[in-house]
Amino acid sequence: MNIDNTASQMRKGVLEFCILSVIKQGEAYPSDIIDKMKAANFNLLEGTLYPLLTRLKNAEFLTYRWVESNSGPPRKYFSLTEKGAAFYKELEATWNELSNAVKAVTDVDATNNFNNNFNNP
Amino acid sequence: MKQVININFQGRVVPIETTAFEILKNYTDSLSRHFANEEGKEEIINDIESRIGELFQERITKGATCITDDDVNAIINSIGRPEDFEPMDDAQPAAAASSSYQQQSNTTSTGHKRLFRNENDKVLGGVCSGLANYFNIDVVIARIIFVVLLFSGVGFLTYIIMWIAVPSTASAEIGGTRKKLFRDPDEKMIAGVCSGIGNYFGINPWIPRVLFLLPFLSFLSRWGHWGGFWDFGDVIRFTFSPTSLIVYIILWIVIPEAVTTSEKLEMKGEKVDMHSIKNSVMEEMKGVGKKAEKFGKEASGVINEKAKVVAGDVQNFSRRSSGGLGNVIAMIAKIFAYFIIGCVCLGIFGMLIALIVGAVKLYPLKDYLLDGNWQNASAWGTLFFFIIIPFIGILIWLIRKITNTKSNSRMLRLTFISLWIVGWVCIVFFISSIDREFSRKSNLQDQEVNITNPKANKLIVTTSSTLERTSKRNRWSRFESFDEFLDEDTLTIQNIKVGFIKSPDDSFHVRVLKEARGLSRESANANASKIYFNVKQLDSLLVLDDGITINKNDKFRNQNVMVTVYVPVGKQIRVNGDYFRKIYFNSMFNINDYDRDNDFYDDNKWQSGVDYIMKEDGLYTLDGRKADGWNDREDRRRNSKNNRNNTYRYDKIQDSLERRQDSIEKRNQQRVDSIEKRNERVKDSLDNLLEKEKNKLENSNGVILNTDPGNLSANVMPGVMILPDIN
Repeated sequence: MNIDNTASQMRKGVLEFCILSVIKQGEAYPSDIIDKMKAANFNLLEGTLYPLLTRLKNAEFLTYRWVESNSGPPRKYFSLTEKGAAFYKELEATWNELSNAVKAVTDVDATNNFNNNFNNP
Repeated sequence: MKQVININFQGRVVPIETTAFEILKNYTDSLSRHFANEEGKEEIINDIESRIGELFQERITKGATCITDDDVNAIINSIGRPEDFEPMDDAQPAAAASSSYQQQSNTTSTGHKRLFRNENDKVLGGVCSGLANYFNIDVVIARIIFVVLLFSGVGFLTYIIMWIAVPSTASAEIGGTRKKLFRDPDEKMIAGVCSGIGNYFGINPWIPRVLFLLPFLSFLSRWGHWGGFWDFGDVIRFTFSPTSLIVYIILWIVIPEAVTTSEKLEMKGEKVDMHSIKNSVMEEMKGVGKKAEKFGKEASGVINEKAKVVAGDVQNFSRRSSGGLGNVIAMIAKIFAYFIIGCVCLGIFGMLIALIVGAVKLYPLKDYLLDGNWQNASAWGTLFFFIIIPFIGILIWLIRKITNTKSNSRMLRLTFISLWIVGWVCIVFFISSIDREFSRKSNLQDQEVNITNPKANKLIVTTSSTLERTSKRNRWSRFESFDEFLDEDTLTIQNIKVGFIKSPDDSFHVRVLKEARGLSRESANANASKIYFNVKQLDSLLVLDDGITINKNDKFRNQNVMVTVYVPVGKQIRVNGDYFRKIYFNSMFNINDYDRDNDFYDDNKWQSGVDYIMKEDGLYTLDGRKADGWNDREDRRRNSKNNRNNTYRYDKIQDSLERRQDSIEKRNQQRVDSIEKRNERVKDSLDNLLEKEKNKLENSNGVILNTDPGNLSANVMPGVMILPDIN
């Protein structure tokens, strides 16, 4: 067990959720997604993003269209499908549950209170 | 100063420095290797590449004249190297992120696995741990299997080959500066295997070359000579036994050729740039087929198509078998196929050499065999077009191979094939015309020789030749073996058969029958009548010519002479041993070669150097056995051996008998001795007794009785005197 390993596992778990949520906000170009993630202090390599997008697309959660750009080859703009939206909803619910649970477990005060209450009713 | 090239990148012309391009290429290669197992691999790479293209475009529009190393490195850093990517697959342990290749060989997910030598867990070359990874078994088991195989000898070679052939995990990692084994096309003699090995180990290429050549040369020296037809077995052995050649061919197949500059640098262990050169997994997979095809092209013009078919099969096979084991099998199949092709090639080459040597050797006989211009022409045609042309063809191919000439060889090949077809026409014509010359048999032509009865009762058949024809044991000099038959304008053939039959009367007769072959019966008869064969008698010696002489006009038409000696009953006959031995070594023309088709001679089995006696029902040896060719000699040998054995056995029996007799006599003597001793003892005791009695008497009577003790003992104690019979 090392810290990098655990951290990367954690990030991996939420990566898809984050990407989907970025795309949900509107059609997105991969470098837009990277920028947005960076802005939120979530560093992400394009080399990681592209395969993930392809995988989500292959799972029919995403779709894309080609948009001509003036600074290079035509770009792929990704958007959510209906299936993707449903999937995102599920993920969101799971995330909320999880984050609450994590918060409850890691919140020291709350735990102490609970324990106190339990031991001295 | 750096060279700038234009590349077409994602549909856009991009000026880029060569070094930067090299970095870029390595990067995309490493990407495609990283995503080899990924579904939609092409799409991912395409996306990344178009992103890179976009970034290039940005830089150029900002005013950069070309893409530099720094630009590429910056882009790569922003996109990330495969080892920095977040592991995506749950089955992949995140810890393995540093070595993406290990991940792939560990993974049990879809997509086929690749066989790598595991650099991280190795004892020697990492072959075992790589295999263990591949087949999902414990590495210890793999090692045990290899050690067991090692004792049977197979394991060692397998390990070495796999060590060379299987890529290392290190070779797949980014930035590894490991030396790689390549064939060196710049310094090659045949295929650059030796110079490549030299480069790899940092030694002079002549060291591996000599190591390869040594077993080959020692083999050649053992082979010793280029013999004629009867040494064909040696040619086969020459072709097939040198293992170094086989090893060379295997290495030729498995080691890639260093084609690009960076590969050449890498071959010499010099760091190419920031990255070493890596071939992508998928490209290597295709490479197996490509390499096979390439080698097929190299193999030869003659079997070119066959090689292609094989290569195609291998390619199909490797494509079809998506599993890694399939690739291993394909690899083995490929090696096997080319091994066979190599053997066939060498076999053909050796055969042609043997044919040329044979032709040269038979050349002096040409004038005595061939009649007319047509036959001569077809003989020369056969020699040139059928034998020498393919020889030259293979030679040219080899030279082109060595010098690496690449020109239009199609034209050349067609020329050679058509010339060879001419050769086939020639050989068919030649053989059929020669066959026709021998098609008719002549009548037997009879020649009676007058013989007077020798003074001794024995006639010895010998030869007129005074030449001492020593058998030539040195195999090199056999090359000139026809010299002894060949003078300037005559050929001597020893087509002489000698037989003995019972004489109708009580005197010796000799009859000479001549026979020959020809185009027609008439010409055959003419040929037979031209045979000059001299038989002379010198009292008990019957001197025959040592062969039939043929001049260049008469030609060789299987002229043969049968000498029949009629031996009267009770007379002895013998063929001189020396005469026989001289001819024996040239079994092609054997005087002793009696005609098996002819009953007349079948009864006359004899052997030179053996005395025979004629009896009513045929020839007998002097010790009374019926003449039986070879066996007469062997009998003699066997008999003498038996005699020796018998003597020996007899001696042994005699010896043991004598020893037994000795021991019996000894025992008897001992018994006699012991009895005599007893007698003496008894006598002594009696004497004592007598003395005592005497004393008693003297004491009592005072009279000395003068008595004879013998009588006394006989009278007083008769029982004691009964002695055992000593016999």
